Amino acid sequence: MTINRRTILKAGAAAAALPLLGSRAFAQSEPLKVGFIYVGSINDNGYNYAHNQGRIFLEEQLGDAVETTYVENVPEGPDCERVLRELAQQGNKLIFATSFGFGDSVIKVAQQFPDVKFEHATGYQKADNVGLYNARFYEGRAVCGTIAGHLSQTGKLAYIGSFPIPEVVMGINALALSARKINPEITVKPVYISTWNDPAKEADAARALIDQGVDIIAQHTDGPAALQVAQERGIIGGFGQGADMSAFAPETQLTSIIDHWGPRYVASAQAVIDGTWTPRDTWEGLKEDVVQMGPYGPKVTEEVKAAAEAVRTGQIDGSFHIFTGPIKDNTGTERVPAGVTMTDAELLSMDWYVEGVEQPA
Amino acid sequence: MEIIIPIIVTLVFAATPILLAALGELVVEKSGVLNLGVEGMMLVGAIAGFAGQFYTGNPYFALLCGAMAGAATSIIFGFLTLSLSANQTATGLALTIFGTGFSALAGAPFSARPIQLMGPLFPAELASHPVLRVVFGYSAPVYFSFFMVFAVWYFLEKTRPGLILRAVGENDLSAHSIGYSVKLVRYLAVLFGGAMAGIAGACFPLLLTPQWAERMTAGRGWIAVALVVFASWRPFRLLGGAYLFGLVMTMELYAKAGGGPLSAIPSELWAALPYLATIIVLVLISIRRDASTNAPACLGKPFLPTN
Amino acid sequence: MLFRLEKRREPSQLMRYLTPVAAVVLTMVVGAIIFSLIGYDGIGAVREIFLTPLTNSYKWQDLGVKAAPLIIIGVGLSIAYRANVWNIGAEGQYVVGGLAGTWVALATHGLNGPWILPLMVLAGVLGGMAYAAIPALLRTRLNVNEILTSLMLTYASVQLIYYLIRAPWKDPMGMGFPQTRLFAEAARLPTILPGTIVHLGVPIAVLVALVAWFIMSRSVFGYQMRVVGTAPHAARYGGFSENKTIWLAMLVSGGLAGLAGVLEVAGPFQRMVPGFPTNYGFTAIIVAFLGRLNPLGVIFAGLVMAITFVGGEVAQTTIGLPNAATGIFQAMVLFFLLGGDLLVRYRVRRVHGAAAPGTA
Repeated sequence: MTINRRTILKAGAAAAALPLLGSRAFAQSEPLKVGFIYVGSINDNGYNYAHNQGRIFLEEQLGDAVETTYVENVPEGPDCERVLRELAQQGNKLIFATSFGFGDSVIKVAQQFPDVKFEHATGYQKADNVGLYNARFYEGRAVCGTIAGHLSQTGKLAYIGSFPIPEVVMGINALALSARKINPEITVKPVYISTWNDPAKEADAARALIDQGVDIIAQHTDGPAALQVAQERGIIGGFGQGADMSAFAPETQLTSIIDHWGPRYVASAQAVIDGTWTPRDTWEGLKEDVVQMGPYGPKVTEEVKAAAEAVRTGQIDGSFHIFTGPIKDNTGTERVPAGVTMTDAELLSMDWYVEGVEQPA
Repeated sequence: MEIIIPIIVTLVFAATPILLAALGELVVEKSGVLNLGVEGMMLVGAIAGFAGQFYTGNPYFALLCGAMAGAATSIIFGFLTLSLSANQTATGLALTIFGTGFSALAGAPFSARPIQLMGPLFPAELASHPVLRVVFGYSAPVYFSFFMVFAVWYFLEKTRPGLILRAVGENDLSAHSIGYSVKLVRYLAVLFGGAMAGIAGACFPLLLTPQWAERMTAGRGWIAVALVVFASWRPFRLLGGAYLFGLVMTMELYAKAGGGPLSAIPSELWAALPYLATIIVLVLISIRRDASTNAPACLGKPFLPTN
Repeated sequence: MLFRLEKRREPSQLMRYLTPVAAVVLTMVVGAIIFSLIGYDGIGAVREIFLTPLTNSYKWQDLGVKAAPLIIIGVGLSIAYRANVWNIGAEGQYVVGGLAGTWVALATHGLNGPWILPLMVLAGVLGGMAYAAIPALLRTRLNVNEILTSLMLTYASVQLIYYLIRAPWKDPMGMGFPQTRLFAEAARLPTILPGTIVHLGVPIAVLVALVAWFIMSRSVFGYQMRVVGTAPHAARYGGFSENKTIWLAMLVSGGLAGLAGVLEVAGPFQRMVPGFPTNYGFTAIIVAFLGRLNPLGVIFAGLVMAITFVGGEVAQTTIGLPNAATGIFQAMVLFFLLGGDLLVRYRVRRVHGAAAPGTA
């Protein structure tokens, strides 16, 4: 079975035929062409897969009003610039660049195509026709941490990351803070493996951690490798990242953080169709449904489920924020005073670890 | 100290695909052929092994699929370099480009599909025993790799076909003039190398991480090529070298997971270590002059008989 | 009637230049058939990959920019390979050249002046040469195989980038991401055609190829390199030192790879990022062979490879061909080319007679 743009177009059109007659009625005869570029393969079972799911969601929701195209495995740098120009030149009026490293290229190409709207995921450079979007994955980490705090028996959690970027640091800290609210003895061990896609190395990192007493592993790489090791070794659990990975670890996935970019893509495309698009800088999470939690695994008891749900709904209604003080860093210095919540800018440049996180090399 | 046994188990698993691929490449190089397409053949083997396991659930059949696919891929290399005398370096690189692309294309339908890991060869009482598992805790390809180290050594050193193969690698023209078919010997060696690389590739989804991911061998085919030189074309040194490489790869993760002085080494240095070590070993064996005596004299040169 | 191969007295010049063209054409035909058989739009794939980049004038600037580093590195490698020196670590020399240029750009940040860019280029060339000097030294002093050392050094160089941009060279304003700061205006390669992305590196690539062609075909140096490559014994007899040739070949190919690296980082990238190594050094090996180890042929070959890259992306956007297909097309070009080498040295003869009864 191969998926190409045409089959997706057909499926998308069929799925969208009934519920969205309203929006389709307003659609112009010319569909809005929307382009996507991915840094990896759409078959990575993780980050790029999730973005592509968002693209499919967009087609399902807006049907004939949009026509989407994607390019996968786009290297960050000049190659990306060329692909962006290619998409712009082919008449795509809205282009989503889904990886941080595409930022410079987006800014350059946006200057050359002022009538094309660009949206860049997880970046920081904005322009008149360049919007930014990101997801508050750390909100999902707080739910995961709550579960881990209840279920861990050894009190040792681990977090396998690729590179120590703020996104990852934030996730580690959210996991540690939420787990230690339940059990203050818990420690989190971060391990960076310096690659986004070397599943065998990721699996070995998980083995090394489990051999040293870790019983719950979170990972921030692009695939299910660590989760599969957790399943194989029968430790308490792990979490899916990017997509529901329960197929890879039916007993062991406690829950998963699902990147649900679809609503964000629909909102932007609709704004372009309506002529109301402005360069926004959004950082949406559970509340906006851009971050979703996957189904709870069989090991999550009713009591733990209730605690996790409380954290989840608290973040949706705004009553709970994981980065509200008092927060100490792992040297014991108080970084955030009691009652104060860290600003988005502080979070987005986070380069220190909270108490309970072992300092990585 | 009890951490030593898990470290050994993990490193043996990590080293096995490299060892298998390197054993194949060793035989290929001993026949005077340099096939730099190991990484590509491994990837084709990996997707074939995954598919075999996915459809049948029989890991032995899956390994066979990997071997066949690797051998089939190596035929392209053999035909171009042996029948058509094409440049081996360039053909090997092209084979890796091909294998990467082919496996990604063939593997696309298998994304997000898990398979079963291959279980240990011995019964659970032995395989899961806290101490004895250091000996009995592995699955069949690990023991197969031990066997093949011995078999390749025995074949090359103690048998007549092995002698012929070495003769072909040392001096193809004289081997030809005594009446041996240089081409046939090299074809068989290349096929063997392809099959071994294919099995090595199949080990990734079967032994290490039961999924299919594009480029999942992540450069280990190149380590296998380096390892052959590192071992100065000797099977038992290959065994030691593979485990040394496996130790470096595994120690990085155990050091980071466990803390301690080694965890202060930057991960970039860990990652570069196997390659730097290979260069250092190359230098050392060159100083001792036994590399030049053991390297097949015809390595990488096309066989062009004058008549 | 049978066919058999017969060795030519002299390699056929016609075949030497006809086979690369035939390889590309054959790839188009066979590729179209294979991809049609496995359920893709095969003819569309070939059209989009090989023709659209040429027929769409908008794509020409992309071809130039993509081909420039391939040509520069490919020229260096073709010189080395002519001399039978197998530098396959051009990727590492490209990386170190880029890093050396980056070092100058970061060290001069805040300064201004027309001297910065030439200094970066100089540093890049020297960086590439220095990295190529390691295999050269090991080969000439200790007889260590340069194929393996240059390849190993490539992998080490990539880790060097990761380390430098993660720690000492990290952009203070980069939100913690592993990359250096954007280079200042004085450290960026200017574009030469207003309104396009064509930078100074493109004419430099053509110039490098022309100069190399002139040197290789008209100078004593070029003669020496070719003689050492084709007839090492004669070369020794003629007084050419093998070691000197190895050094020259490694330094020229390494220096040119370093030049490509610094031009890439100062031109299209304008900062050092983890994605800087994009396999130009390996692709250039293919380019060198596709160009028949002739600097002018390398220009043609670099363009062909650039077409497949650019066209591969076009095919993804227009007909939904997966990215992996590009690699298969590239490998096919090379397979056919390498296989076609045979026709340079041998001719196909029809044989009549007794060999195989029953064949007509």
